[in-house]
Amino acid sequence: MRVLSDPKGYWADLTRSEQGVVAFIVAFAGLLLVGLLTGALAPTYFLYLVGLAGMYALLSFGLNSQWGFTGLINFSVAAFFGIGAYGTALMSASSSPIAGDLLPIVGLVVALVVAALLALAIGIPTLRLRADYLAIASLGLAEVVRLVVLNERQFTNGSAGVRGIPPFFEGFPVLADLPQMMPGLAIRPLPGTTIVLETPFWGALLNVVVVLGFVGVSYAVLRRAHRSPWGRVLRTIRSDEDLARALGKNTYGFKMQSFVLGSLIMALAGVFYAHLNLFVSPGDLDPVTTFYVWVAVILGGSGSNRGALFGGFVIVGIREGTRFLNEFAWIPIDVAPLRLLLIGVLIVVLMRYRPQGVLPPQRELIWPKVVDEAPDRPDSGVREAKVGGGDD
Amino acid sequence: MTDADATAADAAATDVAADQSKDDVVLRVEDLQKSFGALTATDHATFEVERGTITGLIGPNGAGKSTLFNLVSGFYEPDGGRVEVNGTEVTGMEPYEIADHGLIRTFQTPRKLEGMTVREAMLVGPRKQPGESFLNLFFRPGDVGEHEAANLADAERILEEFEIDHLATQPATKISGGQMKLVELARAMLAEPELLLLDEPAAGVNPTLRNKLAEQIRRLNEQGTTFLLIEHDMDFVMKLADPVIVLDQGSVLMEGTPQEVQTDERVIDAYLGGSP
Ligand SMILES: Nc1ncnc2c1ncn2[C@@H]1O[C@H](COP(=O)(O)OP(=O)(O)O)[C@@H](O)[C@H]1O
Ligand SMILES: [Mg+2]
Repeated sequence: MRVLSDPKGYWADLTRSEQGVVAFIVAFAGLLLVGLLTGALAPTYFLYLVGLAGMYALLSFGLNSQWGFTGLINFSVAAFFGIGAYGTALMSASSSPIAGDLLPIVGLVVALVVAALLALAIGIPTLRLRADYLAIASLGLAEVVRLVVLNERQFTNGSAGVRGIPPFFEGFPVLADLPQMMPGLAIRPLPGTTIVLETPFWGALLNVVVVLGFVGVSYAVLRRAHRSPWGRVLRTIRSDEDLARALGKNTYGFKMQSFVLGSLIMALAGVFYAHLNLFVSPGDLDPVTTFYVWVAVILGGSGSNRGALFGGFVIVGIREGTRFLNEFAWIPIDVAPLRLLLIGVLIVVLMRYRPQGVLPPQRELIWPKVVDEAPDRPDSGVREAKVGGGDD
Repeated sequence: MTDADATAADAAATDVAADQSKDDVVLRVEDLQKSFGALTATDHATFEVERGTITGLIGPNGAGKSTLFNLVSGFYEPDGGRVEVNGTEVTGMEPYEIADHGLIRTFQTPRKLEGMTVREAMLVGPRKQPGESFLNLFFRPGDVGEHEAANLADAERILEEFEIDHLATQPATKISGGQMKLVELARAMLAEPELLLLDEPAAGVNPTLRNKLAEQIRRLNEQGTTFLLIEHDMDFVMKLADPVIVLDQGSVLMEGTPQEVQTDERVIDAYLGGSP
């Protein structure tokens, strides 16, 4: 890792936006560390937050590969998330009215297949038409999925939700029982604070492993796709679909692939959520999730995978941070309900001062190793672009 | 050149001028019709483009030239008539399918690619790249890389031939309109068309770049690409194209050499009497 062997050179090679984000991340991580060491932040809750952040990162990845890459407007993020969550829950939960008690890995596969079919079903009639048709259809789809889940009690338990979802590693050798087998630990990082790590902590740690695996694999796939000729066609479609058509690209096919890929990643987030929360209900399909994810992608910088990752984390920071603010008795109002207002203000400020988002794509997107030596940096870049190499 | 050759060439020339029968046709348009509501934009247009030529398509503003391009390249669905490319009927096909038959078109207004450098924008040009298949990215990455490297080399070579290689790493949106036209032509060439349709390639281009553009079109034509070009600038067309097809109110008025077209009464009337 260059960060460790040559930190100065690494820093100098970053663009200003990247330096800003790195500084912000380091500061924020420091803050969390202080919270953990002083006992203000319970380790198990912290891990839950990391899981939530990973989940939002996945959702943002999904939307970014639709909107950020191709310019597809999908207002049914919550629906695909819900399909993922309900898909695996109905397969694996003990209270499932249809299948139940299957391995979570089966649930994962079923959820992804259903999400892909749903994406095809909505994509086939709309993706040949102008961009707005998908937007409208997806808006309707979100509501249809939510109402079906709420009302088809014989299949979904309706408003009662699905309980008894096993952890993700249920049925795996070793991993399934690991949290129970781990010894309870008490550590005293600072004098006067004791942190006790017991079964819930180890369970939460496993969840974090799951989500980091999902996020890592998705990121690797998307990064490669983004820098490939495939991603370049998507970016051409986003700028000017007619140009892509004139150059002989089957834009309908490309849009479909982008839409299905994004929907699968959103469903993956839902699968993780079901096994994190161990309970799903129609409330989880609330359209506000779609709103949060859009904010995350726009804030991070549409088109950038790293931006989506960052945006996802920031959204969880805001969601949970506002909850945390209520702990301060001296704040005379309840802050949590103002969350949406705060996010609205944030978006307005962002659009005014940095419409391209915090971390839009910083470099040329050409297949790795093809551009061997980076030519001189252009003085005025593609949004401060750097040539050849690196991420995004 | 022997006398006999010269006579033969003369004979051939008069032949073409006398009757328009062409033996190697790359594009055949037959009785094409298109209306937008009450407005007839293409009115039973019929013409042919012979392989190896630079064929000009002129006509007053609103004569339906761009509409004709849109019909031929599959962007619009014709109300009637047929289009043949390389002997295959392509009427009603999708633009990408028509491109597969060797026909590529450019647009009257330059298309910008947001967030790409010039060479990235160039790399969109080549057709049938292995890296355009999602699965290949993961199962045949070596193949993808090889083609990407070859395409990049091609792109940089063409930019050099066009004398705009210094723009390669500039943002594609921050170059001048004239340079953009050159990049568009260069990119279209990467798609290796047999027939390239250019919609007003010289519009908004300064005289120096305009000469360069004409030079490139002529050079590429000599290397085997057939051109059909719409142009408003008479000078540009008359120097470059032969034959020239004149379109008026959606139908073909006449076809002939630049001299014939320029001196034809009907053409002068169309330009004077047509829309301003
Ligand atoms: N998509 C369209 N919808 C309605 N009218 C159109 C459309 N495209 C072209 N037209 C009309 O068709 C006529 C021919 O236009 P066009 O082909 O652009 O002319 P030219 O390129 O020869 O200047 C014009 O009157 C124009 O307004
Ligand atoms: Mg026109």
